[in-house]
Amino acid sequence: MKSQEEARPFHQKTQHISIQYDGTITFTEGALFKLKKGMSLFEMHPFFEIIPSLIDEHKNTKTSVDHNFACIHLNDDDIERICDVTLTISSYGIEVLIFDYTQKYSELHTVAQQKNESILLARALELRNKYLLEKEEFKNSFIANINHEIRTPLTAILGFVEILEKTKLDFEQEELARIIKRESLHLNALIDDMIDISNIESGKLRVTEERFSIKELLKGFEKTYNKVAENKGLAFTMTYEDSIADYVIGDTTRVYQILNNLLNNAFKFTETGKVTLTASKNYQRGNKTSISFKIEDTGLGIIPENLDAVFDRFSRFNQDKKIAGTGLGLAIVKNLIDLLQGDIKVTSEVDKGSIFSLKLPFGIEIGSKSPERKKKTYTLPKRDKKFRILVVEDEESTQYLVMKLLIKEGDFFVDVAMNGEMAINFVEKRAYDLILMDLQLPTIDGYKITKQIRTKYGDKVIAEVPIIGFTANSKEGERERCLKAGMDDFITKPFEQQDLLYKITKQIAKKAAQ
Amino acid sequence: MTSSKKVVLLGHFGVGKTSLFRRFIDNAFSEDYKVTLGVQIKKKVVELPNGKELSMIIWDTEGHTDIEDTRKSYLLGSHAFIYVFDSTREETYKNINEDLAYLTNIHSKVLIKVIGNKIDLIKEKTAKDQLKALNINVDCFTSAKTNKNVHEFFLDLANELTS
Ligand SMILES: Nc1nc2c(ncn2[C@@H]2O[C@H](COP(=O)(O)OP(=O)(O)OP(=O)(O)O)[C@@H](O)[C@H]2O)c(=O)[nH]1
Ligand SMILES: [Mg+2]
Repeated sequence: MKSQEEARPFHQKTQHISIQYDGTITFTEGALFKLKKGMSLFEMHPFFEIIPSLIDEHKNTKTSVDHNFACIHLNDDDIERICDVTLTISSYGIEVLIFDYTQKYSELHTVAQQKNESILLARALELRNKYLLEKEEFKNSFIANINHEIRTPLTAILGFVEILEKTKLDFEQEELARIIKRESLHLNALIDDMIDISNIESGKLRVTEERFSIKELLKGFEKTYNKVAENKGLAFTMTYEDSIADYVIGDTTRVYQILNNLLNNAFKFTETGKVTLTASKNYQRGNKTSISFKIEDTGLGIIPENLDAVFDRFSRFNQDKKIAGTGLGLAIVKNLIDLLQGDIKVTSEVDKGSIFSLKLPFGIEIGSKSPERKKKTYTLPKRDKKFRILVVEDEESTQYLVMKLLIKEGDFFVDVAMNGEMAINFVEKRAYDLILMDLQLPTIDGYKITKQIRTKYGDKVIAEVPIIGFTANSKEGERERCLKAGMDDFITKPFEQQDLLYKITKQIAKKAAQ
Repeated sequence: MTSSKKVVLLGHFGVGKTSLFRRFIDNAFSEDYKVTLGVQIKKKVVELPNGKELSMIIWDTEGHTDIEDTRKSYLLGSHAFIYVFDSTREETYKNINEDLAYLTNIHSKVLIKVIGNKIDLIKEKTAKDQLKALNINVDCFTSAKTNKNVHEFFLDLANELTS
């Protein structure tokens, strides 16, 4: 069936108008637009205002001239029509013929709309994608930079608080110092979280494999979290199945991080009752095993609608001000578990508690049962003279901190070099037992200085001096870079004083034993 | 009597000709894209700094990837062409110099302005650098969406057309 529009007789789709040069209508026939003799056509629609300029062009021509305009949107007060218009200009006046092709043009419009829209949509998606990538890159470099900027003063704060704690303090001062330390450590943990998530998301995190004892790891948690539980008035139990392999091969740091984050989370949201950690063997075949862990709490719980989103970044449903954190913990857990090709599920009941169940795959060594490797203890070799240490560091707060720490120990002399040139100068003049080398220095960086010390001198005292790298940068691969440059060890700022002393003692002891 | 000038909006499809037209005439904007078929014509009377008025008759034409596909009748009797491109889509501006040459070739006396629209979507500096590398001169960057530079541009144009 034909539409009404098409059914209209042809003469109803046209309009014939005659006008004078000034636009006054002298004749009109047709039903498209309401026009009357004596009206100005120019005022009916701005399209017709083109006419004066056309008249100008043809003033001097005797014969009549046609101008055809296709697909013009015309409307009077009531209705819009898409028309073709022919203007015939002659010395008598102007003939205007209007053809209404609204129907035909509307069909064309649908086609053009689809075609253009799909092209624009594709472009918009491309642009959006590009924008997201740029934003991601910016975010990652921003986080890396801000991390460096925050770590340096934080190292100073932590260091000085430790020194402050060893001075004579009254009870209140001691308490305040303890709070400053606790909060600084917390800030430090948050920075770690931020770096982790940006490393994971940008695919920079590598899985490392080493042999370790799951049972020992669990016992460690038992110790730490018993204390936490005690402080909060909660109970904590840890149990594991004996049939779990004694030693597995996997990424101990990441496994620690995953379980630690989940336990932290459980304690954070539990005010009464208990938290339990259980581990069991899922299966063990050939050189593979899968271990299930379950972290159960009697805390706030999660409402069903929110369960799907618990592992999203920054989602935190219990918007309780008392609960500190970035909200990155569970997102990190999920990302790390994906990285290790494990699996995590959560079930929960509001006001009853939550259960996080995860499975992680590990490798096992068949047949070998080597003993556990403990952190060895080292002592400084006996000697009359004190040990001479060179600290290459441009930041005053860190210089001061290291100096105070070492001098207080009583076994060390300390020299400080502010930059690479000074460091080289010192090394050539004096024999050192150890060098602490900041990696980010003005002019020559720590890697270059180390290379120079290792390769330029025939004197073994210089060329073989133990060097410990020293940086605010905790990027993956930093350790390898240090070792490759010829350093013996590496420590990230902010460091615990005990860690630094341990590393210094270890290197000096090892050198002496050679 | 109010004098009038015909101004034609030209450029690829989807660059925002109709949006600039609507922004200037009705001060409205829509995210919806409705393809223009043929041409729609509206006029707006603007007041000039000298107190006189100018009636700007604006022809909003359908976009074409190739300027030569634009109906020649739409260009007749014009006083200015506004060549609009989309600052976020290189394909809408990379051939501008050839297109402008085509226009001046058939209408040597008509004033031509080049506008980079949708500047709300990218940094102006990024767009400028890219255009500079292609040796393209742009008169104005606009956003029909945020109303950046739209009225200013048309008023400057009105001024230039009457001086
Ligand atoms: N973000 C942003 N979007 C815009 C701007 N101007 C137009 N758009 C959008 O771009 C699309 C196309 O705009 P139109 O004004 O219809 O483009 P056009 O040049 O008239 O297109 P054709 O009529 O097909 O030639 C629409 O979805 C608009 O909402 C702008 O300045 N900024
Ligand atoms: Mg349009």
